[in-house]
Formats: sequence, structure tokens, C-alpha cells
Amino acid sequence: MDAGLFWEWVIKSLIIVLMLTAGFAYATLYERRVIARIQVRIGPNRAGPFGLLQPVADGIKLIFKEELTPAGADKVLFFLAPIITVLPSLVITAVVPWGDTVVIGGRVIRLYLTDINVGILYILAVASISVYGIVLAGWASNNKYALLGGLRSTAQMISYELALGLSFVGPILLAGSLSLMDIINAQKHLWFVVLQPAAFLLYFLASLAEVNRAPFDMPEAEQELTAGYHAEYSGMKFALFFMAEYIKMIAVAMIGASLFLGGFMGPFVDRFPWLGPVYLFLKVAVWLFVMIWLRATLPRIRYDRLMQLGWKVMFPLGLLNAVVTAFVVVLVGG
Amino acid sequence: MSEAVPRIAQIPNLVDLFPDKVQPDTRPGYQGYLVGREHLLEVVQRLRDEYGYDYLSSVTGVDYLPEGKMEVVYHLYKTLGGPALVLKVQMPREDPRVPSLVPLYRGAEFQEREAWDLLGIRFEGHPDLRRILMWEGFAGFPLRKDWREPYFEEEAKPFKSRWPEGFVFRAEDRNPFGDNVQYPPGFDPETWTPPDDEAIYRVLKRASEEDDLHADTLVVNLGPQHPSTHGVFRMVVSLSEETILDLKPVMGYLHRNHEKIGERNTFLQNMPFTDRLDYLCSMSNNFGYALAVEKLMGVKPPERAEYIRVMMAELTRFLNHIFAIGFLLNDLGAYFTPALYAIEERELILDIFEAVSGSRMMCNYFRFGGVARDVSPDILEKVRRLVYDRLPRKVDEMDEFLTRNEIVRERCEGVGVLTAEQAIANSASGPVLRASGVPYDVRRAEPYSIYDRLEFDVAVRYHGDIYDRYLIRLDEMRQSLRILQQVVRDIPEGPIMTGKPQYQVRVPPGEAYGRVEGPKGELGFYVVSNGKPNPWRYHVRAPSFINLTSLVDMARGAKVADVVAILGSIDIVLGEVDR
Repeated sequence: MDAGLFWEWVIKSLIIVLMLTAGFAYATLYERRVIARIQVRIGPNRAGPFGLLQPVADGIKLIFKEELTPAGADKVLFFLAPIITVLPSLVITAVVPWGDTVVIGGRVIRLYLTDINVGILYILAVASISVYGIVLAGWASNNKYALLGGLRSTAQMISYELALGLSFVGPILLAGSLSLMDIINAQKHLWFVVLQPAAFLLYFLASLAEVNRAPFDMPEAEQELTAGYHAEYSGMKFALFFMAEYIKMIAVAMIGASLFLGGFMGPFVDRFPWLGPVYLFLKVAVWLFVMIWLRATLPRIRYDRLMQLGWKVMFPLGLLNAVVTAFVVVLVGG
Repeated sequence: MSEAVPRIAQIPNLVDLFPDKVQPDTRPGYQGYLVGREHLLEVVQRLRDEYGYDYLSSVTGVDYLPEGKMEVVYHLYKTLGGPALVLKVQMPREDPRVPSLVPLYRGAEFQEREAWDLLGIRFEGHPDLRRILMWEGFAGFPLRKDWREPYFEEEAKPFKSRWPEGFVFRAEDRNPFGDNVQYPPGFDPETWTPPDDEAIYRVLKRASEEDDLHADTLVVNLGPQHPSTHGVFRMVVSLSEETILDLKPVMGYLHRNHEKIGERNTFLQNMPFTDRLDYLCSMSNNFGYALAVEKLMGVKPPERAEYIRVMMAELTRFLNHIFAIGFLLNDLGAYFTPALYAIEERELILDIFEAVSGSRMMCNYFRFGGVARDVSPDILEKVRRLVYDRLPRKVDEMDEFLTRNEIVRERCEGVGVLTAEQAIANSASGPVLRASGVPYDVRRAEPYSIYDRLEFDVAVRYHGDIYDRYLIRLDEMRQSLRILQQVVRDIPEGPIMTGKPQYQVRVPPGEAYGRVEGPKGELGFYVVSNGKPNPWRYHVRAPSFINLTSLVDMARGAKVADVVAILGSIDIVLGEVDR
């Protein structure tokens, strides 16, 4: 392994982390502005041009806020929980490619951190870790609302992981690979959303539940559980939970775009590989818009109905889709 | 008595019915009957079961200090409609005991607790006679006429220290670092822990021991600091998983003893004070209070003033209902979008209130015998444009966006059901009562102002769930618009005030109960005058407060998420609940 490759990795990792944290900051602004327009309001527009400095102001405020730890809390877990929540969301996008290869200064650089041949498996594994952070936060706070929120989210995330996993099966079977690069390349001519509409729908709904977005934002249901698992958190620890939520939103949008919407693929991307990240960015922006739109429009589904939907509708549907896809792949591709 | 008239349609003469137990109240300006306290239960039971007086509207006490008596006043109604039957029980001040009416009317529960809390009348047989608005360690009963607050100045306003010379000082300034709270003897606030919390937790139903699962019961306090209680209201809930086993409402965090202050105020000073009850609907509050005092004074507002009053009351109903629907959706988890759409329309109506009264929320617009200012033609034109064009469109828009929404229906249908029998027994009123299938509306049952001349239907729905309480508000908004359209069409020219506007009205001695169909339900004001410039007794029958009785019936067996929506569907305002 030459030193150049090492530095390449370091730089790419840094870029990913920075892009994601900046993406988190601007996703909040994006959400606030879009929701404001939907709600016949204007939204934050005071800090900087078009309110572009609003996330900076928010960040400064949160950093300087007093951090409270409840007297009855489990100090160590209370401290660890936000970190456990935020780390998986930062590393999960490591396997998502944002482009093919470019040449910089005579050096061929691949526009992704790594392309492991079990990328999908990696995504599922890492996504599951963040539920620990949430349930530990709920438990360690020593607060009944937080505990209820933590319990709800555990149940919800575990149930919806099944549907999420099954929705991956379609694209995997069609591409014949667990690597995201192969899956994207298989969509060069036709996006998988056309071949796999059911899987796409499943993925979309399950990912909403997975990142606790409306109308599945049960764990943090403000109206019932005040804030759910992060009720007792303040300052930067609180911000970390929000960071995790928004980065996960970006991550599921990136993964979903890669699985079903052709990832970085788009017109002329063969000739101008720099267009890849741009296409991916646009697809993610549209995906996020839909998520925000749903939040501004729909009431929350009740918790028991959510579980019913997960186990009685989405899980069987996912199984059926997997079986049908497998049959078709065998019959056609034989 | 002829055979043709069934008993339930008669207005009984109690003296004939109970010759030795009941006597008419013959004090000048008073009405109704005096009942001996030992006969109360028997008399009321017969009235309820045989004569259809199934609705206990108001229970309150009056302290007649000079006569050395306490009096409990009951206002009974038929849900078929008609005037009140007023019963009174008198007792010596030293021994204030009456049998509780909770076994007959569950709706008496909170009002009897309130009378115990503020007047110290002991209701025997009440299942849970604790203080309700004051805190447990409070000394004395503040509505008794011999109770004095720590900074007591004078019995009645205007205080000599401020008027007429204009030299102002406050009693607090004479004792700048003193306590403004009186404690009972032997009470140390530093070491005291509230006993009422334990008392609440003990009466809550828990998971039964025989249950195979041995599930633990979780007691959760929803509130007083909670985003969905619409203020500082607290629900103590015992949970088995997410299902509610039992619920106890705790209120009084916003208590300011409205009634005591009201008794210190002059009659007119109370008018702006009623604005602060249900601060969303100050016009309706004004209306009820003006009706009560006008009954005492025997004045009637001129025709134009009546039209203006009805216009304001119906605009208030509209804005309250659209606001309630918006925030009900908020409670269901829709992120503020319906609420903000509702607020947009509310702002337009508030513009009109501001134009006529000078204030958007605390309108203080009604006067005894009229209204404060006339409505100019361009304001009327604005109202006309609103009620003929914009508002009907917006109601339809709400209807279209929300009524058939799958999640709304799934969350609301069949949840928080209140049956008609429960609703009547609990003295529920307004949309809560009518959504349970009881077409009882004060505007039709006992018409006041010009409602008997206006054409509108009493909206009624039959399932008694959250969804129907949502739908009935839509229906009532449409009916309000119908009334408003007639009002702006027919409003006559003329004076807006009977007699001259005056600061000090002369109110002859007597009692009066004025009630209106407020947006939240039956809003009643019981006023007793002894001929002085200040009311001797000023009592508010707050619909939000009494509608909360039904919360327990609705919430049992529901999920945590439901109870928030149920509370939203009752539509309370804490300014009125806690008074």
C-alpha cells in the first residue's frame, strides 16, 4: 500500500464526514424553509442572505448552551448514547459511491471511499447499531417519557428493519451482487424503480420508520411523549441526536437513490464523470423534499397501527416481492 | 292535569309535589325553590326520573354572611329544552353540609369540589372531595366573605387609595419584603411535601393482580409542563404498556380566584375581566355576563345592538372552532400545517374585532344594554365579504383536506367514545354533548337575544368519538356562517345602547343566571346583587372545566397517543378551566 493511497483515503473520509455534517446543517435549513412555504410562512431568513447562516447561528447557540445531566441518570450511558447514535450514521455512507473515476493530476481517483463486495450487508449491519444509542438514551435518562420513547423506537426499528432488508433483495437479485457499485452499474439503462416498484415503496416507507420521520416519528412524538428519548438532553448532546437524524435522512436518501434511482448515473456521466456527484446530490435533494413534504402534511400514525402495518402488511409484501423477483430472474435470466 | 301532556313535558310546581319539603324562594329578585337539605336527594331524583330534569347545569355556593347562612344553588335543565329549575339549599354557616349530587349527576363532581375548595361546603357522599383549584396546604376558603387576602385593602373597588384623588399606592408597598401567602398554623413550606400527589396515585386503578402477565403499572404525569395539554393542565395516567387504565385530571395551576376578584370589582369592571376566562372567545364571555346582569337590571339592548352581539358571538364561534380543528390535528401529530392554515383565517376575524373594539383578543366590547361602539359600514362590508365568500371557501377547504384523510380517520374514528347518556350525566355541553347525539343547544333550547328569529340548525352527530367532535365543529362553522349571512343582511340602523353609557350601573338586588351557547359549550354566569355597586356573588359556569369530567370516560382503554387527541377534541382553554 503506497502512501498516496493512504492519504487518498484520509482525504476522502474527511470529505465524507464534512459533507455529511454540512449536509446536516443545511438539511435543517432546507426543512425549515420548505415547511414554512407549505405552511404559508416565510421561515428563517434573517441570518445571512436567505437565512443561509441560520445553521451557524443554531450551532453556536447549541454549543454554548448549558449541558444538563439529570441527577438520576446513568452518567456513562447518558454520555455515550448520543455518540453511539451519531457514529453509525456518519460511517454508513462509506460504501455509497458518488461517481465513477476521475483523473486528478495524472492520478486515477475513484469517487467513493470503498467498494466492498458486501456493501449492502454493511449498510444493514451499521444501520442496526444506531438503535442502541436511542434505547440507551431512553434508559439512561431515568425519565418515563424518554423510556417510553426508547422502547417505542426499539420496537419500531427492529420491526421495520425486516421490511427494509427485504426491500434490498429485489435490486440485489437483479444486479446479482451485493456491491453498490455493481447495482448502480446495472441501472445504466433502466432504473430499478421501474422494475421494482413494490420494493421501492417498501424501502421508502421502511426508511421513514428507520430514521423516525413523520408520519412514523413515534419515538419522539412531541405531542405525546414531549420529545421521547431525547427529552432530557440539552446543548450539544441534543444536537448530536438531531445530527444523527438528519444525517440518516441524507444517508437513506443516498442509499435509496443508489438502489432504485440509478445513483450517480445520468446523461453524459460517462464523458464527464464530475457530473456523478451532481446527479446524486439532485436525487438526494428531491428525496429529502418528499420526506419534508410528508412531515408537513401528514398526522402521526398511532403506535400500535404502525406495528400492525410493519408486521402484517410490509413484511409479507417484502417476502412476496423477494420470491416473485427471484422467480422472474431465474426464468428470464436463466 | 290532562292525560295528553306527558309528565316529562310539564313544568312541575314543586310546592304541590312536595308540600312539606319545598317552599318557594320569596326573596325579592329571587326565583326557584328552597329545599331542605335532608330532602334534596329525594326531590332531585324524582325531578330527574319523572320530570326529565336530566341536566345539571350549575352547582355553586353563596355565602350570605349578614344572614349567617350558606346557600347552595342548583340549576337544573331538561335536555328537551326549556327554562331552568332553580333549587336552593340553605344551611347555617357553622355547619355547611349538603348531600352530594354526584350519585345522580356525575357532572356535579368538579363543581362540588370547587364549592368545597372555595367556600368550604362539605358535600356528603362525594367520592373524591379534595381541593381542586387551590393547593392542598391552603388555609381557609377564599370565597367566604370573612376571608381576607394577605394584602387586603378594602371590601370593594374602586379602592379609596387610587380613586378619586388619583393618589396610588399598593398594599404590597407597605410591607415590601413580607410574605404574600398565608399559611395555616404549624405549616412549614420548606419541609412540606404535597399530600395530594400520593392521594391521586392511590385512587388510580392499576393492573389487576389476577392478570396472568403480572404486568407492572406505570404511572405517568402528562403535564403540567407538556406540549399537548394546551396550557398548564396535568393528567395523572396509569398505564399498562401504552393502554390507559385510569386517569385523574389535576388543575388549578392557572388559578387566580377570578370569582373573588370579580366580587371586589364593580359590575362594569367585570366586563373586561370576563375576557380573560376563555381568552380565545372574549366576545362570547362578554355576552354571557352582559345577559346575566341585564336580567338583573331589567334592560334590553336595542335591535341593532342585538344584531351586532350575535354577529360577534358567531364570529367568535367560527374562529374558536377553526382554531380547535387546527390544533386537534396538531395533537394528532400533523406538524402545525393545519393549525397555521386555521390561524390565517382567525387573523382575519381578529382584524374585525380590532376594528370594532380596539383589541384583538381582550375585546371588552359589550355593555349592559348594548355594545361599546358602533360597527361602521366599511367594517360591515368587510364582514360581508368574509362570510359570503372567503370563510365558506375555507371551511370547504379544511373539509376537503382533512375529513377523508386516511390517517385522520384511523386515529379518530371510534376513539374516545362518549355515549349520549354519559354526556348528559357528566353535564357535558357544546360540541362535546352534541357530537354524542344530544341536540341540545342553548340558542334553541332557551333562546336569548335574537336567536329565535334566525334560521339555523342545531348540528348533531351520533358516534361521540373524536371524529364526530371534529365533524360537528365543521358543521357548526357552516351554521355560524349561515347565521352571519342573515345578520349582515338584516342588520337595522339605530342606536346601539339603551340609555346613556355609564361607569356605575345601578343593579337592583336579586339573582340571575345568564347563559349563552359559547363555542366551547354552555357558558353561564350566576350573579347575585345586593343593590351595592359590586356583585355579592359572581360565579362562572365554565364549559371547559365541566367538559373535563368526561375526559376519564373517554380516555379509559385508549392509548397514550389517543388521550392527547381526546383532550384536543374536548377543546379546553386553561384560562377558563382554572379561573
